[in-house]
Amino acid sequence: MKKTFSVNLGSQVYNMDEDAYLIMKAYLDRIEGYFYDQKEQEDIMNDIEMRISELFSERLGISKQVITRRDVDEVIAIMGDPHEIIGEEESPRAAQEKRTGPRRIFRDPEDRMIGGVCSGLGAYMGIDPVIMRILFVLFLIFGIGFLVYIILWIVVPEARTTAQKLEMRGDSVNASNIGNFFKDEFESVKKSFRRKKN
Amino acid sequence: MDFENAKAQMRKGVLEFCILSILSRGDAYATDILNKLKESELIVVEGTLYPLLSRQKNAGLLSYRWEESTQGPPRKYYALTDKGREVLKELESSWRELIDAVDSILKK
Repeated sequence: MKKTFSVNLGSQVYNMDEDAYLIMKAYLDRIEGYFYDQKEQEDIMNDIEMRISELFSERLGISKQVITRRDVDEVIAIMGDPHEIIGEEESPRAAQEKRTGPRRIFRDPEDRMIGGVCSGLGAYMGIDPVIMRILFVLFLIFGIGFLVYIILWIVVPEARTTAQKLEMRGDSVNASNIGNFFKDEFESVKKSFRRKKN
Repeated sequence: MDFENAKAQMRKGVLEFCILSILSRGDAYATDILNKLKESELIVVEGTLYPLLSRQKNAGLLSYRWEESTQGPPRKYYALTDKGREVLKELESSWRELIDAVDSILKK
């Protein structure tokens, strides 16, 4: 028995096994991370999702109602690696837009206790977020920390896109960094999945 | 020297030409275009098509409209614009020139 996820892909509903879902999600996120232009990203992701939806529906029938890991592997093989999809298409632009500029302050939504302010500041200053948090708690004891935290929570934007997350850490935003970022994330998803399985 | 890159660039240029050429024979949705490209083994992985379509659309060579389908959700049909037709004509003549030029060198 397996747990399934219900997803909306190209305006169609599909039930996917948990492993199939995680792999598909990581794959789509990886492709998405390659684009800079939001409009272009939406357009292309939309087209790609429509096509994947079509390929999924070809694999389903009365006797098969759930998308499995194997289906996802097949579909990914048909669509191609994100690197092949974007490939050299983006690299000249990526080289142009390569930013090695200063870090920017963002709130880190992935490593947060309350609003991600301390981990964001920590990433900005290269300090462990735990130390940032202890400093803030000390601040709090002296009275103004709470107010400062709330103000920073409001003022500092959350790092939503991959580019912003890289900027938060001071990495330059280019295709290979983004590729690596997603590779890391993909690996961590795979690992946590394996752990769950065992 | 990196010949893989040269080959990929060549294929990509030809692919853009072929997409326009397929659409000049009638409007099509992405999967129609894919099937034709796959028949002639021009495309290896399907994903490569979408960034190209998006780029040609942004360059004003293509337009699209949504059409209801009997087998599932509405489909996005692509069509050549006037500018697309002009570009295709230019590409066709430069394609012939290229073939002749390369042939004349290869045969020597």
